[in-house]
Amino acid sequence: MRSAGPEGAAGRTVSRMAAVEPAATPGGDRGSADVAALIPLVRRIVASRVPDPATADDLVQETLTRVLAAAGRVEPGMLEPYAIVTARNVVTSMWRDQDRQRRHQHRVVDLRPSEAPDEGVLAREDRAAVSEALTRLSDRERATLLAHEVAGQDTRSLAAELGSTAGAVAAQLNRTRARLRVEYLLVSERVEPPTERCRPVLLAISSGDRRRQREVDAARHLLECDLCARLSEPLVGRGRSRDDAVRVAVRVDADVVAARQAAREIATRLGFSATDVTLIATAVSEIARNIVRFADSGEVVVTELHEPRTGISFVARDAGPGIPDVDQALQDGYSTYRGLGLGLPGARRLMDEFAVVSETGRGTTVTMTKWRGEA
Amino acid sequence: MNGGPRLFSILRQGPYLIASIHTALDDSQLVRFQQDLVERIGSDRARGVVIDVAALDVLDSFASRTLRDIGEMARLRGAVTVIVGIQPDVAFAMVELGMDTGRVVTALDLEEGLAELDTYAAAPPAPRR
Ligand SMILES: [Zn+2]
Repeated sequence: MRSAGPEGAAGRTVSRMAAVEPAATPGGDRGSADVAALIPLVRRIVASRVPDPATADDLVQETLTRVLAAAGRVEPGMLEPYAIVTARNVVTSMWRDQDRQRRHQHRVVDLRPSEAPDEGVLAREDRAAVSEALTRLSDRERATLLAHEVAGQDTRSLAAELGSTAGAVAAQLNRTRARLRVEYLLVSERVEPPTERCRPVLLAISSGDRRRQREVDAARHLLECDLCARLSEPLVGRGRSRDDAVRVAVRVDADVVAARQAAREIATRLGFSATDVTLIATAVSEIARNIVRFADSGEVVVTELHEPRTGISFVARDAGPGIPDVDQALQDGYSTYRGLGLGLPGARRLMDEFAVVSETGRGTTVTMTKWRGEA
Repeated sequence: MNGGPRLFSILRQGPYLIASIHTALDDSQLVRFQQDLVERIGSDRARGVVIDVAALDVLDSFASRTLRDIGEMARLRGAVTVIVGIQPDVAFAMVELGMDTGRVVTALDLEEGLAELDTYAAAPPAPRR
């Protein structure tokens, strides 16, 4: 148990626990082994900023959970800088209003102002930030983006107007969106980058262009530059196509079947063996059932992984009561989960990577990954 | 059972019941299957039950437990249960998951399952295999 910082919401008391386990698979697993190797480093960073050992421990666990969840889409050589950045951001965000930040980040993705009436002020602020960011694009970039996103003009007719090809227009639109995200974050934070390397680095991260990230030595810059370290977190992984993720809302029993069938379909398409597909579907069934049993509703997000190799990852999220003792829920054998209906220990055995973060009264997030065997 | 495609069927064959699951079932459908089947065992005074689970996409903790519970309830009503059609991949996942079907006997297919029941009918059921 720890209480939130002085700026936290009304001294909210939370209990946050996480278990991050290196895979026990005999073949060894690079993702979680890499993450396990980062533990001393993460501890050192957090301990140097957070004096209270219990709080530090919580933050270390949260950092590792995030790094593990991202391990599949972070280039192997980037994992250490990513962990450093994440650790620093986790410490910083302890002192921030997390909900507000989360809403901001969400909007960076779809750029649509919220329609909820109680978010009016925020939406106005946000719209202003987007407009300001738009003025920082070139006229041509802005015109093309707006024609596509707002007027709904497709890339083919844009290409005809611009004397270009649809593919080139689509690529240009992606670069423009990446730039807009960077400018939007800079406007929202009301900062100017301190060095001239900042924008190229942020842009390379925002567009998910790994070759460009190496060219500008992004990893090193993130270690040196506080601002970019902070801004890069919402940008990491944004370069991926959104088609890579499938979201299944989970409320009732039938949704459990839908979630495991989505998992089965995607795993099959990714070339997993029939045996692995069944293992994956079974694990998804267990974590989706937990949502139905212990929370009103939640979701399972399925993501295809292509880096460092082919894999499939799942994030099961709910806003339910949370699990009071994650370690116990994970370690206790059959008898406990028969009693409580917790399929977590079983699901963990079926996957290569498995992490649970639960906060009493706030919900539970299960992240799990399976890597395709080398065929 | 009301209008939509049938999720499972329970047919009588001599002193036995043959229960076939036709599609992937969710938890509440599995519970209904269990209730219907246990009821039929009583009303038909069945001495044996074959449950064909070949259509189940997974046998997760809930499905495994439900099958085991059916076996126990059937036993209390004097019937032997044999589960057939567990796919090799599904069986492997069950083992990895740490589940089994308890004292319930398994057989490869319907034919073998019925043969299994005949041996039990000939000799009173042994407590376990
Ligand atoms: Zn910078």
